[in-house]
This record gives sequence, C-alpha cells and structure tokens, in this order.
Amino acid sequence: MSTINFAAREINCKIVYYGPGMSGKTTNLKHVFTKVPTHLRGEMISLATEDERTLFFDFLPLDLGSVQGFKTRFHLYTVPGQVFYNASRKLILRGVDGIVFVADSAPNRLRANAESMRNLRENLLEHGLDIKTIPMILQINKRDLEGALPVEMIRAVIDPKGELLITEASAHEGRGVFETLKAVSKMVLERLSQPT
Amino acid sequence: MIEPSLALYGETFEKVEQHLEELLAATGVRYCLLVDRKGFVLSHKEALWAPRPPALDSVATLVAGNAAATGALANMLGESTFSEQIHQGEKGVLYVESVGDSALLTLIFDSSVPLGRVKVYAKKTITAITGLLKTLQDVPAVSFDQSFSVSASALLDDLLG
Repeated sequence: MSTINFAAREINCKIVYYGPGMSGKTTNLKHVFTKVPTHLRGEMISLATEDERTLFFDFLPLDLGSVQGFKTRFHLYTVPGQVFYNASRKLILRGVDGIVFVADSAPNRLRANAESMRNLRENLLEHGLDIKTIPMILQINKRDLEGALPVEMIRAVIDPKGELLITEASAHEGRGVFETLKAVSKMVLERLSQPT
Repeated sequence: MIEPSLALYGETFEKVEQHLEELLAATGVRYCLLVDRKGFVLSHKEALWAPRPPALDSVATLVAGNAAATGALANMLGESTFSEQIHQGEKGVLYVESVGDSALLTLIFDSSVPLGRVKVYAKKTITAITGLLKTLQDVPAVSFDQSFSVSASALLDDLLG
C-alpha cells in the first residue's frame, strides 16, 4: 500500500509504467513532464543508455496537492522494456501501488506485448503479489500507427478475460497520456478509501 | 504490498527527527535523510549552514534504487545483504546504510568530515531508529473514508484535465 507519513502528513503513491521495449513508456512520462506546471512536478530522471533505451528506470515526481490535509504525491516510474533487463524490472516493482501496462499497436509487436504481460505476472508473483490485486490500466499506445492492430485483438492476447480498463493513446502526440494517468491514479486513491 | 510501508507519526516521528538532529550535530554532515525502500523520504534534517539541498525526492529514489540493485547483487554473490554503501567524490561523500528491512539512512557530507566518525555515530543512530521502527510493526493499517477519494478525484481533474 501507499506510504503514509502522518507526522509529515504525506501520502506517497508509486505508479509503474510497464510494457515491452519501445512501446512508449518513457514517452508517456516525457509528455507529463512537459505539460504539468513546474510547481507541481520535480525533475525527471532518466537512467538510459546512449541510444535512449531505459537502462534502469525513468522517474518523475508529481504533486497532486493537499487532500484532507495530506500532501499527496505520485512517483511515476518506467521499467526498461528490453527482455534482458529483467533484473532491473523486478526491482522497480518494489512497493508498486498502481501499474500502467503500455502495449504497442504495431502488428509485429503483438507477441512482445503478450510476453511482457507474462513477465509482469511472473515478476509480481516472485514478490508474492497477484496481478489481480493491483490497480492496473491497459494503455494501447501508438494508435496513430499505420496498420495498427484492432484494440480487441491486442486485448485478446494481453487481457483475454477483459478484466482491465483500457485507454487508447498516441503518447508521442500526447493523446491519451493524461487520461491513462488519471485513471490509474484514481484507482490507487480509491483503494486508500477501501477497508482492507 | 511488496515492501513494508512505514507510517511514522506522533511520538515516534519526533524521536526519529531528534535522533537525526543529534547525528547531524555530532558528525557535521550536511544532510541527513531517512528513506523508505520504495524511495520516499520519511524524514530529513539539514545543517543550518548547508546550502539548499538537491531535490530530495530524486535523491531518495536513486538511493533506494541503488540499494535495491546492490541487494540483488549481494544475493547473487551469496550474501544476505551489503548493508553499507559509500560513494566518495572529490568534494563530498554519500553514505547509505540499511535501517532494518524497511528503511535507509542517507548522509551527505563534505570530504573533510572524517568518515570514521560518521560511521560510528550513524551506527548508534541506526540502532536507536531500528528499535523505534520495530514498535510500529503492530500498528493497524489505516484507511480513509470515501470523501477522501472524492476530494482526491477533484484534484486529479484539476491537474490532469
């Protein structure tokens, strides 16, 4: 659950953007960084390779403001998407409060989407977590791509039971980025109000 | 919940702050942070003479990420943990040590400050804070009422449209 610091009256929530390599996780964060007023966000940190592939994580702190006297803050992270960075991915999932799974609409990435979701499920299980217990949004990104696969086809391989809330996005144009973040943030905050 | 979440409040929080204050005074470090393993600042103190610190959110995130990576390395090498990390630069030093399973003590200080002294006092502080944090383990989980999520939703609408 979220870290709640009563004395400092703070609530801190960790949201992780997960998904296959080059699906647009970092692009989501970059858009948030450029569009949110500077007094409500901190600096964005990117631990990336020279060719801009995320090596460890990207990080962006966001201040929501004060809710019932509690300063409420979101920490947004991305994981490295490349298959061989799994050790890093596992570490970023520590203490996660909400997940945005960023899927790629390109036809040749359908399998990568499915493998990344399976990897997420496995990594959460290693920490003793069931994927169904965590607030999660499925963002189908790159909808503007020529030949983009139908949403239902992508959902069929990632979320065959249709359990996840879906948003459509073109993160590089900024479309759907805030909608996704808002949806997952609400789910995380609503959880705080639910009796455990 | 993967990592234990800490809820510092009331007397415990004040005692932690007091220990950090004493550590600051005894060692001459610039900044002193208690960070949870998720990368959030639980408490921080800075010397009156120290310039404005770097973004603490970012420091905490990187320290926790670094500690997590170091911990994974330790496991691969057959160690349960590498509890201490020291990064020495030309002008300054970053010292991080585990406080039990749930937190990290992070100290930032000038190279002129003797590392040995910092370590000795840090270990005393860690022993004291570890004891305090243990008392929090039995505290029941907290929850907010429905009006909390309604208020939060309104703020989210303002922020994200």
